[in-house]
Amino acid sequence: MRGFKVMAREKLRLPIRFERIMQRHEREIMGYLLRSSGNRADAADLFQETWLRAYRAYPRLKPDSDVRPWLYAIAVNLSRNRARDGARRARVIVPEDKENPAANRSGEVHRGFTENDGYAAVHLRELMSALPARQREALHLRYFAGLDYAGIATAMDCSQQSARANVSQAMKKLRSMW
Amino acid sequence: MLMKIDKLIRSSGDGFKVEGLEELLRQARRRVDSALKHVRRPEAAVGVIKSPLGDLLVAMTGRGIVLNHYLVDDSDLAATLEKARLQLDLVEDASAVKVVGAEIRGYLAGEGTALRQNIDLSLAASRFQQKVLRKLQDVPRGAVLSYQALGVAAGAPKGARAVGNAMHNNPVPIYVPCHRVIASDGGLGGYGGGAARKLQLLRSEGFSLGDDDVRLPGSVAWGHKGTRIYCRANCRAAARVDRGRILFFADAKDARQAGLRPCKICRPD
Repeated sequence: MRGFKVMAREKLRLPIRFERIMQRHEREIMGYLLRSSGNRADAADLFQETWLRAYRAYPRLKPDSDVRPWLYAIAVNLSRNRARDGARRARVIVPEDKENPAANRSGEVHRGFTENDGYAAVHLRELMSALPARQREALHLRYFAGLDYAGIATAMDCSQQSARANVSQAMKKLRSMW
Repeated sequence: MLMKIDKLIRSSGDGFKVEGLEELLRQARRRVDSALKHVRRPEAAVGVIKSPLGDLLVAMTGRGIVLNHYLVDDSDLAATLEKARLQLDLVEDASAVKVVGAEIRGYLAGEGTALRQNIDLSLAASRFQQKVLRKLQDVPRGAVLSYQALGVAAGAPKGARAVGNAMHNNPVPIYVPCHRVIASDGGLGGYGGGAARKLQLLRSEGFSLGDDDVRLPGSVAWGHKGTRIYCRANCRAAARVDRGRILFFADAKDARQAGLRPCKICRPD
C-alpha cells in the first residue's frame, strides 16, 4: 500500500479571533470616531458600523497583515462618508452640557481637567477641528493612534508621501495658530 | 502658560479625557453585539488528523462535520483555511476533531458502521450540489454508481458533468461517499484526493480492483433501483435496463443487504 503525505506542521496558525481584536482596539477606534465625528451619537453609530464591516471583511484580511491600519481604514472611510452625507462640521467633543452648551463649545476650562493640560487640550481640539479633513485624519493617525506612515497610507488609501505631507502640513498649521 | 504644541501632540493622546467613555463604550458594545448576531458565521472547531489516507483537515460545527479535506502541503492548508474562513469562524481545537480520525481509521480497517458523525453540508457550493451530495449519502457501502446515475437520482439526467463538479467540490469526502461514484463505462473516474485514495477506499469497501486496468470487475452485481432486483453483469435483463438507475454492488451479499432480490433469469447466487 502506498503511503500518503503526512504534514509536519501540527499547529494551524489561525489568525486571532475577531473578539480579541475588538477587545484590544475598541477604545482607540471609539476615540478616533469621537474626534472625527464630533459628537457621541454619531460616534456610537459609526462604532457599530465599523465593527460590523470589520467582522464581514475580516476573513478577507491577509493573515499576516497588520490589523490596526486596516481597522482605521474602515473607520476613516465610514467617517468620511458620514461627514459627506451629513455635511456637518466637526465640532469640539465635550460631554454634553444641557444647561449651558455654549460654555463647552467655546473651549472654557471644563471641571474634569487640570488647568494647564485641560485648556491646552481643549484648545488643541478646537484648532484641529479647523484643519482640513485629510490633514486632521493624518495627524490623528500619526500621533494619537501612533501608526507609521505605511500604516497611515493604508488607512487613508493614499501614498506614503502624501500621508507624510498631510501630517507635516497639519503640524505647520497648528504651530502657526497656536 | 501653554504647553508647547509639538510636545502636547507627540505625547501621544491629546490629554483630553472624554467623560463617561466607559459608559459610552458599554452601550456601543451592546449595540455591536446585537447587530453582529444577524451576520455571524457559524463557529467551527478545526484541526488536522492523521489517517491511513494521509493528513486531513477537519472542521466540525454544532451540526456535524462540515469540512474534511485531504492535505497535500502547507500552502494547501493555508488556502483551505482561508477559504473556509469566509463562511465559518474557525477555532483551533484538535481534541474536538480527534473522533473523526478514529472513525476513519476504524472504517478503513473494515468496520462498516464506524462513520457516525452528522454531516453539515453548508459548505456545498450551490443548492444543486447540496442536493447531489444528499442523494449520494443514500449510496451504501459496498455499492458504487455512475455520475450519470447520480444525476438521474438528483433530478438532472443530463447532468453527469455537473455531478462531477459536485464531487470535485465535495466538502466532506469519505463521509459523503464521493469515492463511490465512477464512470459509466466501469472506469474509476477521478477523485479529489487522487485516484490512489479512491482505490484504497473502494477496496476497503469490498471491491477487488487491480492497480493497472482500473475497472469494475465482471463479478459485480448490477442492482436496479426501481425494480430492486440485482443481476449478473452479463444478464440479458441487465443489458436492457436504464443505466441511470443502476447501482453496482461489490458482491451479491451487499446487494441483498441493501434490500434487493436476485434476478430470476441469471440467478446471480
